[in-house]
Amino acid sequence: MNTVMSRPKFLGSKVYEKYKKILTVFLLIVLLFVFGAVTLPNFLSMEQVFMTIKLASFTALFALCQMIVIAAGGSGLDLSVGYMATITAVLTASIMDGGNERLWLAVLIALALGVLVGLANGVLTAYLKLPPLVVTLAMADILQGIVNAYVAGKAITGRPSPFLVTIAAKFTGKFPNILFVLILVTFIVATILNKTKWGQILFGVGANERTAYLSGINVKKVRCIAFTISGVLASLMGLLLLGNMGIAFKDMGSNYVLPSIAAVVIGGVSLAGGEGNYFGVILGAIFLQTLTNLLIAFGLGDAGKWLGFGIILFAMLSAYASNRRSR
Amino acid sequence: MNGVNKTGNVLHTIKGLILKPEVSSFLIFIVMFIITATLQENFFAIKSTVRNINSFTPLILLAMGQAVVIVSGGLDLSSGAALSLFTCILTTVMKKNDPITGVYALLITFAVAILVGAVNGIGIGYLRIPPVIVTFATSYMWLGIALFLRPTPGGESVDWFRAFYKIDAVENAPAFLKAMGNFVPPALILLIIGCVLWYIISKTRTGRYIYAVGSNIESAYVSGINTAKTQMLACIINAVFIFLAALFFVGQNQSGDARMGGPLTLKSIAAVVVGGISLSGGRGSIYFALIGALILSFVNKIIFFANIPNAYQTLVSGIIIIVAIAGPAYVMFSKEQR
Repeated sequence: MNTVMSRPKFLGSKVYEKYKKILTVFLLIVLLFVFGAVTLPNFLSMEQVFMTIKLASFTALFALCQMIVIAAGGSGLDLSVGYMATITAVLTASIMDGGNERLWLAVLIALALGVLVGLANGVLTAYLKLPPLVVTLAMADILQGIVNAYVAGKAITGRPSPFLVTIAAKFTGKFPNILFVLILVTFIVATILNKTKWGQILFGVGANERTAYLSGINVKKVRCIAFTISGVLASLMGLLLLGNMGIAFKDMGSNYVLPSIAAVVIGGVSLAGGEGNYFGVILGAIFLQTLTNLLIAFGLGDAGKWLGFGIILFAMLSAYASNRRSR
Repeated sequence: MNGVNKTGNVLHTIKGLILKPEVSSFLIFIVMFIITATLQENFFAIKSTVRNINSFTPLILLAMGQAVVIVSGGLDLSSGAALSLFTCILTTVMKKNDPITGVYALLITFAVAILVGAVNGIGIGYLRIPPVIVTFATSYMWLGIALFLRPTPGGESVDWFRAFYKIDAVENAPAFLKAMGNFVPPALILLIIGCVLWYIISKTRTGRYIYAVGSNIESAYVSGINTAKTQMLACIINAVFIFLAALFFVGQNQSGDARMGGPLTLKSIAAVVVGGISLSGGRGSIYFALIGALILSFVNKIIFFANIPNAYQTLVSGIIIIVAIAGPAYVMFSKEQR
């Protein structure tokens, strides 16, 4: 237990410690790309790389929801994000109906839905002290249930507004537009988390609930707000997914739940809370997308994807767990 | 004056009793039982009783297994996926026209069940990863393997496997077994096996350790209990319960399905909570998971009688689960506030 404390720290090793996890992910991505380039033709083409980045952006944005909830501590996780996106996409598709005129209404509905569901998650977990995974899993059931009931016996009509298609699906030159959204979001997140007191409060609550409480922070409220932000972001993701896919369908978002959590874990964010580095999370998302591409290229399909993701998540959890074992 | 005080005391005691999780869940059980019995025609006829037992059994077995893990201070989000995996393995190993493959399938799947429990247990107990997240990860591993074996529902099963569902359906079963099967459904036997299994374990040191570890892992560790091993054993016991449920499923459907068990995970957790077992571990009787599962099953029946369209089923069951989980927590919450 004391080995860590007695080891002398130099500036170089400090920098190394801080970025160790990010470097690890980066090396893993390079490794996957090298492996892909050796075994498959065309794996390292420019188009392929940008396609990977585009698809990874969606996972990364979903992972932002998780990161905020996880950072607030209390073993928080949000399993309802994918379903939140689905319900928003399904409900707003017919409202927008392929035009920009009613985009504002769709955004308004997305915000309202996000606040409502996120707040419900927050109240149930923070105030009633229920396990977040169980609550958000049940919430996922309810959201999927509403979608099932809504689409029962009829086709989902409506198309996304052209504006959404432009930012979610189109490319500018070779760069996918969603990448610019991601860069903007990263900038905002980094500013809020590192430069304002909100970031300090969020991390403070996650790092040590007791200390935060004693220094006058309303811990429950902070956690509740974290869940609400997650709900709103996930709901807005529904609009982007709709823009990317062009149509809404019953389980368009549910496949993002596991990757969103896995990206956070691979990105080196401790599930114990109190920290968060969005840059690492984005790298985690790119890693997962590259892995998916490889698995699909080798014809392993869904089975390989879920098995691979499950094993990677388990392995990463074990690796990071061994770092903090002290007893 | 004395009398007033006495009635006050009695009222207080009654109130205290009702607020006890076990007592309240037993009362809810009786109410649900009465409602279902009035709504369902011939509820007490042997035929419909057998049918009811058959439809309740998988959830009861899963809930009892889940309860063991929860009491030990864990939580299993992979139990539904594990159930699906077991059905896929059973139906992959078995060949329809070769009765002996049924025995192989039983042995192989049982070994896999132990392994599945051990992997969860290593994650929870030895690596000390939060139980919810480790079983979340493993649930996708089981789903992936199940999809490899069975991309679409199907598979083969030997004829005698029907004995786990209905002895009558097995062609060359002995006559006395068939006669017995009409009164004692195999599902009931599986349930009894499960209960006896837990009864035996609860009398051993492991049974006590499971409660000790769940109620306070630090002091259990300090008093010399191997906490990691105990939590792993709890996960393995859970896997055995899931294995029993898988036998029933394959007996009933003669096929395996990689996605069939998913919805049962959350239901099993809800059943445990409804049964009055604390999600924070260490408290509650495993047998009350059976009561909780019965309550949820009765509620399902009542919904069925209410003629709610199929499309609304997921929604309604989701709401019921949230209410079932949040209700007891709300009672605790308002108690704390006072």
